[in-house]
Amino acid sequence: MSNRYDIAIVGSGPAGLSAAINAKIRNKNIIIFGSSELSGKLIKAPKIDNYLGLPDITGIQLKDRFQHHVANMGIDITYERINTIYAMGQYFGIAVNEKMYEASAVILATGIEYTKALKGEEEFLGRGVGYCATCDAPLYRGKIVTIIGYNKEAEAEANYVNELAKKTYYIPMYRESLNLNENVEIVRDKVVEISGGNKVEKVILKSKEIVTDGVFVLKDSIAPDKLVPGLIMENGHIKVDMNMKTNIEGCFAAGDCVGKPYQYMKAAGQGQVAALNAVFYIDKN
Amino acid sequence: MVEEIKDQDFSQSIENAPTPVVVDFWASWCGPCKMLSPVIEEVSDELSGKAKFFKLNVDENPVTAAQFKIASIPTVMVFKNGNMVDKFVGFRPKDAIKDALEKHI
Ligand SMILES: Cc1cc2nc3c(=O)[nH]c(=O)nc-3n(C[C@H](O)[C@H](O)[C@H](O)COP(=O)(O)OP(=O)(O)OC[C@H]3O[C@@H](n4cnc5c(N)ncnc54)[C@H](O)[C@@H]3O)c2cc1C
Repeated sequence: MSNRYDIAIVGSGPAGLSAAINAKIRNKNIIIFGSSELSGKLIKAPKIDNYLGLPDITGIQLKDRFQHHVANMGIDITYERINTIYAMGQYFGIAVNEKMYEASAVILATGIEYTKALKGEEEFLGRGVGYCATCDAPLYRGKIVTIIGYNKEAEAEANYVNELAKKTYYIPMYRESLNLNENVEIVRDKVVEISGGNKVEKVILKSKEIVTDGVFVLKDSIAPDKLVPGLIMENGHIKVDMNMKTNIEGCFAAGDCVGKPYQYMKAAGQGQVAALNAVFYIDKN
Repeated sequence: MVEEIKDQDFSQSIENAPTPVVVDFWASWCGPCKMLSPVIEEVSDELSGKAKFFKLNVDENPVTAAQFKIASIPTVMVFKNGNMVDKFVGFRPKDAIKDALEKHI
């Protein structure tokens, strides 16, 4: 891989954007990942009165101001979702499906996710529960696999697993119509618990139980310590110090993902602190 | 250094080792395994003499993979006197791996 960025920023909300402009001002070679609408939370805010200098603004207006600001500085947002960030020591490997980016430092600005883990999900992680069906499917050749899908993309993974597994169940966590191979059995029911002994044995639903060897839980967003293996959390947030440093050398975090209060100005301020410390880290190494 | 180990020589290598033994269960189709292997290689150099490091390809060695109920890879196991004393699943940064292993050395 020829191109190694100085700083990779994950998330295009106020924390990530503020990090991006400050790193850019310091002449660093950056890449920022996020979405075209910048932040789902930003466009939902009906009226914002606590953003200094921009009183009485709607979320959409604030989003437009942000968009102009970064565009004027020549910052392009890469519209990709990061699956995993590997701390390799001297650099970070940033994986988007099969593709890999490299950066010397990373700033996590991924916001906060409200969907809670299922009962048993964390307990059985690595003992039958997984988050990447395409990664672990070959281990379930000839076995029974259950997929709990939170979005349409999970359907393609279910179809792939079905080619190897003896039996595939699909439990959709959404209402849209499904595009699944014929022999994938669709189960529309509420998940109560993933249970077992030493490893996963069954998925308990409201009206029945499914005996299974493996369960894949496929969600929109990934908990920060799953996104960055080895990252230390504290009370559901990424643990940082006042310099926005995490426990992993060269990895910083900012915004809602590091804790309360959940506010735009705080997110932007922390994004700036994270960027300046990332710059310092790169110059030192 | 990390050496290949196979079904045939697995139990012998684990049981007769004078130091703790670390085994990295991997496969060629597994992305996180590819990231973990250079990290384990570095750790093995830094802990050389204190622990013995092996890697086992789960596709080519199904007996051992089944015996230890490998459900997700990479899985790293630590053995002492032939018994498994620790394991972790998934990628870990170097410092985290070293910390985990040093407990057993
Ligand atoms: C309805 C509503 C009204 C609000 N009103 C106010 C208000 O008036 N004043 C105020 O101060 N605050 C308000 N807030 C709170 C504010 O929205 C948040 O505090 C703020 O958006 C946090 O910014 P952030 O950058 O940390 O995260 P977010 O804005 O959540 O941005 C995170 C970004 O990261 C992206 N991302 C996550 N994971 C990945 C990944 N793996 N790969 C790539 N990208 C990823 C997401 O898609 C998103 O774009 C409101 C929130 C809501 C929902």
